Amino acid sequence: MTSHFRLLIFILLITTGFRFYEKNTREPLHFSMKKEWQEITLAENKFSFLGLDSIMNHMVQLLSNELNQPRLFYCDLETAVCADGECRLARIKIYWNLLGNYVGYGIHSDEPLTKYDHDPFIKDDYDKLHRLFLDNNSVLRRKTMYELVDKVPIDPKSKEKYNDVDGLSSATKKDIADAVVKGGLYSCYTLWHLIHGEAKEKMKSYLKSIESDSLNTYFLYSDYKDYQLHALKYLSKEEFTKHSSQVTKIFKEAQPMTRTYILKKMPDEMLGQKEVSKNLYNDFASVGINSRTQLVNRLKAASDDAPSLVSNHLNILTRNQLKSYLQFFDDNPEKLTESIALKLNQAAKSKSLTYGYLVEQFLDND
Amino acid sequence: MKRLLHSIALLLVTCLAQAQEQILVEAESFINSGGWVVDPQFVQQMGSPYLMAHGMGNKVANASTKIDFKEKGIYHLWVRTKNWAPGNWEAPGRFQIAIDGKKIKQTFGTTPSWSWEYAGTTSIKSKKVEIELIDLTGFNGRCDAIYFSQENVAPPSSGEELANWRTDKLGETSEPEKTASYDLVITGGGVAGCAAAIAAAEQGLTVALIHDRPLLGGNASSEIRVHTLGIYGKYKRILQLIDTEHYPNGSFKAKYDQEKRDKNVKQYENIHLFLNWRAYDAKSDNSVVKYVDARQTATGERMRFVAPRFVDSTGDGWIGYWAGADFSYGRESANEYGEAWDEWGELWSPEEPDNFVMGSSVLWQNEKSEEESSFPELPWAMNIAMGHKAIAGEWYWEFSRNDLHQIDDAEEIRDHLLRGIYGSFANAKKLEENKFYKLQWVSYLVGKRESRRFIGDHIFTFQDVLNHTKFPDSVVQEIREIDVHFQQNLTDETKPDFLSKALFYKTEKYYIPYRSLYSRNISNLFMAGRNFSCSHVGLGGPRVMLTTGQMGAAVGLAAALCKKYNVNPRAIYTDHLEEYMNLIENNNDQSF
Repeated sequence: MTSHFRLLIFILLITTGFRFYEKNTREPLHFSMKKEWQEITLAENKFSFLGLDSIMNHMVQLLSNELNQPRLFYCDLETAVCADGECRLARIKIYWNLLGNYVGYGIHSDEPLTKYDHDPFIKDDYDKLHRLFLDNNSVLRRKTMYELVDKVPIDPKSKEKYNDVDGLSSATKKDIADAVVKGGLYSCYTLWHLIHGEAKEKMKSYLKSIESDSLNTYFLYSDYKDYQLHALKYLSKEEFTKHSSQVTKIFKEAQPMTRTYILKKMPDEMLGQKEVSKNLYNDFASVGINSRTQLVNRLKAASDDAPSLVSNHLNILTRNQLKSYLQFFDDNPEKLTESIALKLNQAAKSKSLTYGYLVEQFLDND
Repeated sequence: MKRLLHSIALLLVTCLAQAQEQILVEAESFINSGGWVVDPQFVQQMGSPYLMAHGMGNKVANASTKIDFKEKGIYHLWVRTKNWAPGNWEAPGRFQIAIDGKKIKQTFGTTPSWSWEYAGTTSIKSKKVEIELIDLTGFNGRCDAIYFSQENVAPPSSGEELANWRTDKLGETSEPEKTASYDLVITGGGVAGCAAAIAAAEQGLTVALIHDRPLLGGNASSEIRVHTLGIYGKYKRILQLIDTEHYPNGSFKAKYDQEKRDKNVKQYENIHLFLNWRAYDAKSDNSVVKYVDARQTATGERMRFVAPRFVDSTGDGWIGYWAGADFSYGRESANEYGEAWDEWGELWSPEEPDNFVMGSSVLWQNEKSEEESSFPELPWAMNIAMGHKAIAGEWYWEFSRNDLHQIDDAEEIRDHLLRGIYGSFANAKKLEENKFYKLQWVSYLVGKRESRRFIGDHIFTFQDVLNHTKFPDSVVQEIREIDVHFQQNLTDETKPDFLSKALFYKTEKYYIPYRSLYSRNISNLFMAGRNFSCSHVGLGGPRVMLTTGQMGAAVGLAAALCKKYNVNPRAIYTDHLEEYMNLIENNNDQSF
C-alpha cells in the first residue's frame, strides 16, 4: 500500500466519521467490564445527544475491535455544572456497553472533577462516583436538582435527619446522601443524568439497528449478566433449546430474576431432557427460594430423576412448596418411587422437619 | 338447648357454647383481654379472630374471662394455637393457661400450624371458673379458642369441618340475628371507604360503614401509619377530613390525624359506623348483591346488612369475591395491555404472567430513652434477618415471594416481617451506638399494597398513563409517578428477602374513569381502593391513599345519583353522566 493510498484511506475514514482509536487517551479510571477498552481499534461517530443545558451537544462513538465487532459506546463529555448561577466546566470520558448500560469512566489528568467549593475530588470521591453511576435506579433519577438541594443532611451522622423523609417520593435523606459525592451534588446530578438520559435511549435504538444472531451469540456466551439476559430474551423458545447447555450454565450463576425468567421461558421439552433436568435440580438447594418454587411447580415436565433430587432437600422447602411437592404425587402417583416414599416416611418421623406434619398428613391419606 | 346456650353466651359477653359436657371459649371474647390484642386479619384463612400477645419482647398482662360450667368434673382440654415461627428452636410465642389461678403445666403455641394442642385432663372444681392466658415471651403468642370436653374427642383441625363444628358449638343459626337496611353499605373503613361514606352521606344517603378495626383509615390509621400520598383531585374538602400530614411512615404523629379522621367521620349522623365488625359473607342473586353479613370481632354478634347498592373497599375485595365478581390477581404479561418498559424488563412487567405482586409491609419505630436497654437473642428471627441491622422501618420493609399469596398467606407474610424486624433490631442492638434505643411500636397489622383487582367496564392500565387518556368519565386524576416495587433479593441475593425497591415512571397528569369503579358483572357493586379495576402496573400509581380516596368520593356521589334514579352504577355512565360530572365538579362548594 503506498503512502498516498494510506493517506487517502485515512482522509476518507475521517470524513465519514471513523476515528482510529487512541488507547492512551481513553484509559478509564474505573471500568466494570474486563479489558474490552484495550481491544478497541476503531471509533466511529454515531450520534449526538443534547446536554441538560439544552445547548451543548455530545458526540457518542461506537468502539469496535480489530475484527470490526462493536464492543462499547464512548463519549468524551464536556459539560457545564451550574450551582447558584455559577457554572464550571467538567470533563469526563464515559463508557457504556452495547445495551447502553454505564460501565466506566475516565478523567483528563489535567482537569480533575471538582466539588461545590472548588476542591478537587479525592480518590474516594472518584470511587463513589463510579458506584453511583452504576446505579441506574438512583434517587437522582426521579428528582430535580431543586428537590435535592437541602435534602442532604448537614451532619451525615445525624440519624434523626437521615430518617426524615423527603416530601415528594418517600426517599429518605440517607438515600439521597448515599447517591451523591459529598459536596459534589451538582456534578453528580448533572453527570448521572447525562449518562442515563437521552444517550442511553439512543444507544438502545442503535443496538436494535445492528442486532443479529451473531451479536446475540456474543451476548449469550459473554460473562456479563445484562448481556446474558438480553440474549435470553432475544432467543425464541426453540432457540432456547438449541443453546440448552449455555442456558443451564447461565442459570447456575445468574441473579434470581434471570433464573426466574429462564424457568418461565424454558419449554417443557427442554426441561424434560435428562441432562438439563439433572443440571437444574442438582442445584436445587442453591438456586434461591423463588426458583425452587418454580422447579417444584414444573416437576411434571422435568425428567424422572427430578422428584428424587428434590426429595433430598425436603428440609428447605417452604410450607407452600412442600404442599405443591406432595400435590405432585397426588396428581402423579406413578412418580412416587420407593426411595422417595422412604424419604417421606423418614421426614414424617423427623422432628427437625418444620412442616413434617404435612408429610404425615399426605402419608395418612395415601 | 342451643337457644339456652346462646343466651348464656350473650349473658357472659363471651362466645361460649355449652353442651352438657362441652364448652368452647373463643379467646377474642374474653371479658378482659389484658395486654393481648384481638387480631381479626386472618379469619378467612384460619377461621376466627384470635388473641395475640404483641408485647414487642415484653410479656403482656394476662387476659382473663369467666366461664360457667354446668357440671364439675374431669375435662379434657384443647387450645387452638400455633407456633408462628417453627424451626429448630424454642417456639417464640409460648403461653400458659391458668384455671382459677392454677397454672396448667403444658406450654402452648408449639405446633407449626393452627391446631388444637391437647393439654390432657383438668379437674373443674366449681361451676364458675376463671381462665387466664399467661404470656411467656412477649413475642406474639396467639390463642384462637379453648375447648373443654368430658369426652376425649378432639375438635376438627381446620377448614369447613371446623367452621361447621364451631357454628354448632356456638349455637349459631344459619342467618345473623339482626338485619338492617341502608341506602348504601360500604365495607372497609380505609381512606377510600371513609371518603365514599362521607360523599354519600352528604348527599343524604343513609350509609352503613363496616370496618374490622376500632380506628378508621386502614393503611393511614395510627395502627399501620402510612402517610397519604397523591393529589386531592376534585375532592379536596372531603379528603382533607380524613388524610394525613406527610410525616415519616411509622411516625407517632399518625395519632393526631387519627383523631381528626374519626371525629370527622363520626359527625355525620347518617353514617352508621360499625367499628370492629368484620364482614364474613355476601350473597348475590342474579348478579345482584343482596346482603353482606358481618360479625363483631370480639363478641361474635352477627348482623345482616341489606341495601340496593354496595361498595367494596375492603382492599382484598372480599365482598365482590363472595358475590362472584370477576377479578384478577398477579402480574399480567407485558403484552396483555402493552405495559412493557424495556428499561426494567421483567421487574416491571414480565413476558409471561405470574403471581409476583407487590408485597405487604409492617411498619415499626424506635424510641431513644435515657437508660440503656438490651434486646434478647432471637434464634427464630436470625435466618430471616440474616446480618441485617436496623432500628426503624420504612415503606421498603416489604415482603412478597412467588410461593405466597398476599391474601391466602397473609398471616405467614406478617409473621415473616415480624421476624425480620425483631431480628434486625436484635442485630442493631449489639452495636454500642444503639444502646439507648428500644422498640416503641411495631404494627401487627399487615399493610397491603396489592391483592384482588376487580374487573370493571374499563381496566385501567399503564397505557392510560402513557397516553394521558382523558375519558368522558374521568372522575379521578393523579400526577404521582407510577411506582412498581420488586424485592431487592431478586437482583442481589445478599439482601434480606423482606426489603423492596421501587421503580418510578414519571408522568404528567393521568385520569381514571368512573367505569373502573364498578363491577362489570355484579350490577350493584362499586369498588374503591386498591381493588379497583386495573392491571398490576396500572395499580402502581393510583394505589396511594389520596387517589383511592378520590375513588371513594366519586363512588359515594355516584351512589347518590343511583338512588335518585333508582338505577345501578353502570347507568350513571350511560344515562346520567353529565349530571354526575357536574355533581363532582360542584361537590367542593357544598357546605353541610
